Amino acid sequence: MIALVDCNSFYACCEQVFRPDLLGKPVVVLSNNDGCVIAANKEAKAITDIPMFEPVFKIKDQLIAHKVNFFSSNYTLYGEMSQRVMNILGTFSPNVEVYSIDEAFADFSGMKNVSLKNYGHEIKDTIFKNTGLPVGVGIAPSKGLAKLANKMSKKIAENNHVCVIDSEEKRIEALKWCKIGDVWGIGRKHAERLKNIGVFDAFQFTQLPLQWVRKEMTVVGERTWRELRGEPCNEFITQPPPKKGIGTAKSFGIKLPDLERIEEACAYYISEVSEVLRAQKSCATYVQVFIITNYHSNVDQQYSNSRTVTLEVPTNDTFKIISAARKALVEIYKPGYRYKKVGVNLTGIIPQDYVQGNLFHQPSKLNNPKLIETFDAINRKFGKATISSGLVGTRINEWELIKKERSPRYTTQWGELLRVNSKSSNSKFQKC
Amino acid sequence: MEIFTSGKLTKVKSRHEPGVSKQTGFASPATHYLEPTIDLNQELVVNRDATFFVRVDGNAFKEHNILNKDVLIIDRSLSRNFDDLALIIQEGEFKIQRIPFGFSEEEEEFTVWGIITYIIHYAR
Repeated sequence: MIALVDCNSFYACCEQVFRPDLLGKPVVVLSNNDGCVIAANKEAKAITDIPMFEPVFKIKDQLIAHKVNFFSSNYTLYGEMSQRVMNILGTFSPNVEVYSIDEAFADFSGMKNVSLKNYGHEIKDTIFKNTGLPVGVGIAPSKGLAKLANKMSKKIAENNHVCVIDSEEKRIEALKWCKIGDVWGIGRKHAERLKNIGVFDAFQFTQLPLQWVRKEMTVVGERTWRELRGEPCNEFITQPPPKKGIGTAKSFGIKLPDLERIEEACAYYISEVSEVLRAQKSCATYVQVFIITNYHSNVDQQYSNSRTVTLEVPTNDTFKIISAARKALVEIYKPGYRYKKVGVNLTGIIPQDYVQGNLFHQPSKLNNPKLIETFDAINRKFGKATISSGLVGTRINEWELIKKERSPRYTTQWGELLRVNSKSSNSKFQKC
Repeated sequence: MEIFTSGKLTKVKSRHEPGVSKQTGFASPATHYLEPTIDLNQELVVNRDATFFVRVDGNAFKEHNILNKDVLIIDRSLSRNFDDLALIIQEGEFKIQRIPFGFSEEEEEFTVWGIITYIIHYAR
């Protein structure tokens, strides 16, 4: 059996753990640069006229009118809380596949004489007690069915956030409950097609002949079909595959016309992504740089371009990647435009132990692993971008995301700990 | 002749240079008795995934020997035993109080956020 454990309204709940005054109140979390709403708790979702993924400036009045509390995204906090949840889940199962920041599959195969329903409740209660985060648990013979059980654990109130599909009757009942558009792995296009041929729920889908599914929906559809029939097809992936490409692109808070400042932003983003590269012990073969003007603007002249450079030797050295990217940037930069965004992508990622030398290239004396190690160690100890390449300049805050309403990083920064005081009893004590 | 680092090959360093120190003398008598230095995280934090640090503002909790700017170590996983010092939520606010006798989460008008295990006080 396989369990899917997922956190309810994860981002909003992370905020509420440290803000008991917001319990039971609507909370939304905004995207990077406070662009739009990306997460909402059930109280916020209940206010029907808050559209998700709408730019904030368009709905700000609505948010204020409904007294919705909004936060900039605090990924440092969410990531750390997620880690706690996954670790706790790891104490319940030897195999945990972290599927996303707020959900994971846990392998229960080989468990005998255990009431899975009780076990599911124990998981839910332990995670809530230890972290303050509410989760839903779905347990079933395959990942596809576990996903479905998880949905039922939340949508059907009497399940109380734990749902187990452990018999043929329960499986069929679950499949009949699930609309075809809600099946994990069936996209909108396929759902439309299936509806046209009279398949409206997951049960009807599993009654289609396998040949038809394989022909019309490829092997992906076949896998979904088999999984829903209780046959596990998706393996457990406990070790995430190394990333194929790492990139970042963020809008500037202001529009930038001059090359110098775009270069600085570009260098800053490269420091960020090359750090990720080093953390996973990889090197990049190519670096791509692109610049874009504000395509939402009717007034500004529009221009965008990109250039990919092959690095002499695959590397994860911030300084080398910056100097390669800089050449590319100079080539594509055209004066006279107001740029909105610069981005970098590192691709051709290979393990650093497999880097091949280049016959015509002599490694420069600067390529000193000790230097880069020290560099990373200082930034880990004193915080992001404490030291950086001189090309990054000193206006770092401008390249960082706009996070006006970000909550403190309660669990990772000693200076931002949760603060407790008691105003009422405070005054009482001052009197004595 | 110069030898460059390339791939996995590394330059052979001369072992007979003044810059390379050599151990002479006797080995330290402590060699077989070395232990890792005390790590407060290991001593004070039993359940890492359930532990949170909280800073206190003001002297409102003086009666519990908790003073302004103290840092509390809070373990959420611990069971709520009689007389445990706890961070609680009452009417949407954090407070600190001891767990009363015969405490049951459902009956009280407050919920327990976590049990305070240590109070770190800066003495200077």
